[in-house]
Amino acid sequence: MSLFPWFLGDAGFTFAVDPLSCWFLAIIGVAGLPALIFAPGYLQHLRHRVSLSLVWVALILLMISMAGVVMAANAILFLVAWEVMALSSFALVTADHERRDSRRAAIIYLGATRAGTAFLMIGFLWAHHLTGSWVFSEWGISGTGALAPALLIFAGLATKAGCWPFHLWLPIAHPAAPAPVSALMSGVMIKTAIYVMIRLFVLDNHFVVPLLGPILLVLGAISAFWGVLFALLQHDLKRLLAYHSVENIGIILMGLGVSLLGRQHHLPLLEQLGLAAALFHTLNHAIFKSLLFLGAGAVDACTHLRDIEKLGGLVHRMPWTTGAFVTGSAAICALPPLNGFASEWLLYQGFFKLAMDGPSVGLRFGALLLMGWLALIGALAIACFVKAVGVVFLGNPRSRRAERATEAGRGMVVAQVLPAVMCIALGVAAPAVLGQLGRITSRLGDPSLLYHAWTIPLTLIALLLACTVGGLAMWVAALSRSLPARRFITWECGFGDLGPRTQYTATGFAQPISRIFGAVYSYTVDINVKGRNRRYFPDKVTAETAHEAYLETKVYTPLLQSIKRMAGIFLMRLQAGSIHQYLIYMALMLGLLFWVGVS
Amino acid sequence: MGGGELMNSLFLSVLHLINLLLLPLLLMGIIRKAKAVMQNRIGAPLLQPFYDMAKFLHKTETISENAGWIFIWTPRVGLAVAVIAAILVPWTGVLLPPGWAPATNFLLMLYLLTLGKFFTMLAALDTGSAFGGLGASREATISMLAEPALIIALGALALGAGSTDLMAIYSSPASPFIALLAGAGMVITALAELSRMPVDDPTTHLELTMVHEAMILEYSGRSLAMIEYATALRTCIFFGLAVQTLLQAWPVFHALPLLLHYAASLLGLVVLGISVAVAEGILVKLKWRSVPNFLTFAVVLSLLAAVIAAVQS
Repeated sequence: MSLFPWFLGDAGFTFAVDPLSCWFLAIIGVAGLPALIFAPGYLQHLRHRVSLSLVWVALILLMISMAGVVMAANAILFLVAWEVMALSSFALVTADHERRDSRRAAIIYLGATRAGTAFLMIGFLWAHHLTGSWVFSEWGISGTGALAPALLIFAGLATKAGCWPFHLWLPIAHPAAPAPVSALMSGVMIKTAIYVMIRLFVLDNHFVVPLLGPILLVLGAISAFWGVLFALLQHDLKRLLAYHSVENIGIILMGLGVSLLGRQHHLPLLEQLGLAAALFHTLNHAIFKSLLFLGAGAVDACTHLRDIEKLGGLVHRMPWTTGAFVTGSAAICALPPLNGFASEWLLYQGFFKLAMDGPSVGLRFGALLLMGWLALIGALAIACFVKAVGVVFLGNPRSRRAERATEAGRGMVVAQVLPAVMCIALGVAAPAVLGQLGRITSRLGDPSLLYHAWTIPLTLIALLLACTVGGLAMWVAALSRSLPARRFITWECGFGDLGPRTQYTATGFAQPISRIFGAVYSYTVDINVKGRNRRYFPDKVTAETAHEAYLETKVYTPLLQSIKRMAGIFLMRLQAGSIHQYLIYMALMLGLLFWVGVS
Repeated sequence: MGGGELMNSLFLSVLHLINLLLLPLLLMGIIRKAKAVMQNRIGAPLLQPFYDMAKFLHKTETISENAGWIFIWTPRVGLAVAVIAAILVPWTGVLLPPGWAPATNFLLMLYLLTLGKFFTMLAALDTGSAFGGLGASREATISMLAEPALIIALGALALGAGSTDLMAIYSSPASPFIALLAGAGMVITALAELSRMPVDDPTTHLELTMVHEAMILEYSGRSLAMIEYATALRTCIFFGLAVQTLLQAWPVFHALPLLLHYAASLLGLVVLGISVAVAEGILVKLKWRSVPNFLTFAVVLSLLAAVIAAVQS
C-alpha cells in the first residue's frame, strides 16, 4: 500500500500492512491505551521537574514512530521511523534530567541505540548490495552469503530488544523514564525488534540462514534465565521489572528459534507452534508488563519510593493497585488461567513436539532439557514476584511514606484495571486469539494445525476454579455465621510488638537463590559496625550487599575502557577543533561523492 | 447408555469419591502411624486426621489484624486448586472417560498446583510475621530446584506416550528404564514439594527450621482445615504420580483390569507412604545448605530418563 508517492532516494515513502503488521499495531494500541490513560494523573507529581509538553510531544512521536516501524515497506523508511522511535524515547528517558542517574541512563541508552542502528545499517546496506532493492518483500537471500548480513541485522535488533548479551542498557534506561513511558518502552518498543525478526527471518524467506534457529534458541534461553535471575536480585521495583523484560524477550526468542528449527527440519506443526507462541507471548508481555510498570508508577506517585525495602502494607492503602499488580504478577509467572500461561504452554508444546519429532538425539534431548529450563525460569519468576508483591504490598509498612500512602487517582486506577482484565480475558479466550494468530501463521502452511495443537480446556478449568472457590467461600460464610472469626495480632512469640524491621526484607527473601547461582556474579556483603564499643554495644550496624555480573566487570568494562582509550588517541587528532581541518574533510567528502556519482 | 455402562460409570464415580474424601486423610494417618511405630510409640489413631479436621471446623478462627484479602482467600484458592487437580490427575490409575484426556495435561496440572503455592507464599508474607517470610523464601527456593526435575521426568515419560496428557501417559506402556528413573526422580521431588524429610521436618518444635509449617503458622480454625486438606490432597497427587510412574516399569500394569489396577495403585501408595515414614524415622533433616545437593539427585535421575527417552524415540 503506497500512501504517499514521495520520492526518497531509490525507495518510496511506502507502507505495507499485512496480518503481521496488524498484530503489532494491535499490540501498540492495546498497551498504549492504558499508558496514555495513566499518564495525565501520573505526570502531575513530576510537573515541577519535568517539562510536560516535552513529554507529551515525545510520547505521541514515540507512538507514531512505532506504528511507522511496523508498517514500513522498505529499509530506508524503516530506518527513519526506527530513528525517530529511538530519539523520542531518548527524550523521554532524559525527561527527568535533574536527576543524575537519569542523565547517566540517557547517555547509556543513546549509546546502545547508536550501536544497534549501526549494526542494522550495515546489515541493510549489505542486503541492498546483494539484492539491489530496499523493499523488504523483494529480499530473498540464502546460502552462505546470507549469514553475515543476517547476523549484523540480528545484532542490531537484539540490541534494541534487550537480548543477552546486548541487554545491559535496558535495565538502566527503562526505569529512568516516567512510568507510562517505561510501560511503553518495555511493553511495546522492544517488541518492534521482534517484529522485524519475524518479518525478515521467520515469516517469509527473506533470509534463509539455518544457523539462526539454534542461535535464537540458545540466546533466548540465556536471556530468559539471566533476566529473571538478575530481576530477583534487584530492589528497585522498576529495575526489577526491566530485568523481567529481558527474561520475556528470551522466551519470545525461544519461540522463534523453535519455529526456525521446525522449518529447517520440515516440521510444519513445530514451525507454526513456535511462531504462535512467540507472537502470543509478545502480546501478553505487552499487556502484563505495561500493567506492572503502571503499578510501579502508581506506587512511585503515591509514596515517592521505588526502593522496595522501604515499602510494605500497601494492600490496605492501595487496594485497586494491589489487585491489578497481583493479577499481572500471576500472569507474568504463567499461572493458569491467565494469558501468560496460554503462551508459555504453546512454547512447552513446541519443545515437546521438537523432542518427539526432532531428527537427532541431541536435538530431542535438548528440547526436553529446554522444558526443564523453562520450568526453572517459571519458578524463578514466581520467587521474584512473590518477593516483589510481598515486600511492596503486604506486611507492615517499612517507612513513614509507605504508611501515609493513599490510593492513586481514578484515571491511574482505570489504567491498571483495564490490562488486568485483559490478562484474564486473553487467558480464558485463548482459542479466539489463536484464530487471529492463524491468519499470520497460515502464511507458513496449513492454518488448521494450530487448532489441533491447542488441546487444553483452559476456559473450563477457569470456570471450575471460579465455581470451586466460590462454593468454598459460601461454605465458609455459612460457617462464620455461627462462629465468626476474630481479629488479633500476628503471633510474635510473646516478645511484644512486631515492628516493620522484623519482617523479611527483599534481599533476605532472595538470598538463598542468589547464593545458589553465585557463579554468574560476584555477590558481596559488606557489614559495617560503628560506635565506640563496637564489639558489645554498637551504635549503628549497616549491611550492604552488592552483586556485579562477571559479564559486565570482565567483558564490557574493559571493552568500553579500550574504546575510550582508542578514541583518546585517534579521534582526538581527527576532531582537533580546527576549522581548516574540517574544511578539508568537507572538500574530501564532496570529491568522494562526486567520484561515486560519476562512476 | 447401556446398563453395563451405567454401572461402570457409577462405580467409577464411587472410586473417585473415595479418592477425594477418604484416601488423602487416611494416607496421612497411615504415614503418622508408621512413623510412630518406627519411633517405638503407639501413636495417634489411624483416623486422627479426620478427628483433627472435625476439631478445626469447630474452633474459632483467628485472623491477624495485619492480614488482607490475600491471606483470607488463599486457603480457598489452595483447596480449590488441589481438588480440581485431584479429580483430573490419575493418581490411582486412569478413572476418567477418554474425553477428559486434554484436561489432564501435565503442564496444566502442575501450573495449576503452582497457583495454589503462589498464593500460599503471598499469604505467608501478608501477616508481616518473620516466620512467614522465612518459609516463603525457602519454599520458593525448593520449588525452583524441584520443578525442573519434575517436568523433565514427566516430559521423558510423555515422549513414550506421544502426548503430554497424563491420561495418555498412564494408559500406554512405557520403557521400564525410563519409568524407574523418572519415578525415582519424582519420589525425590515429591518429598521436596510436600515439605517432608529430609528437606523439611514438619514435626520439630521450632518454627524457625520449618518451611511449609512456617508459612501457614498464622492460620487456624476452618482456614487451617482447608489448608491441611489441600496438603493431604497434594500428598496423594504427588506420591500417586510417583507410584504410577514406578509401576509403569511393570510391563502388564497398564493393561490390568480396572479393579486390580486400582488395588495395585492403592497398595503402591500405602507402600510409598510407609517407606517415607520409615525414611523419616531413620534420616535426619538435611542442613538447609545441603538441600540443593539432595535435589540435584532428582535432576540427574530425570535427565537420565530424558536421555533414554531421546535415544529411544
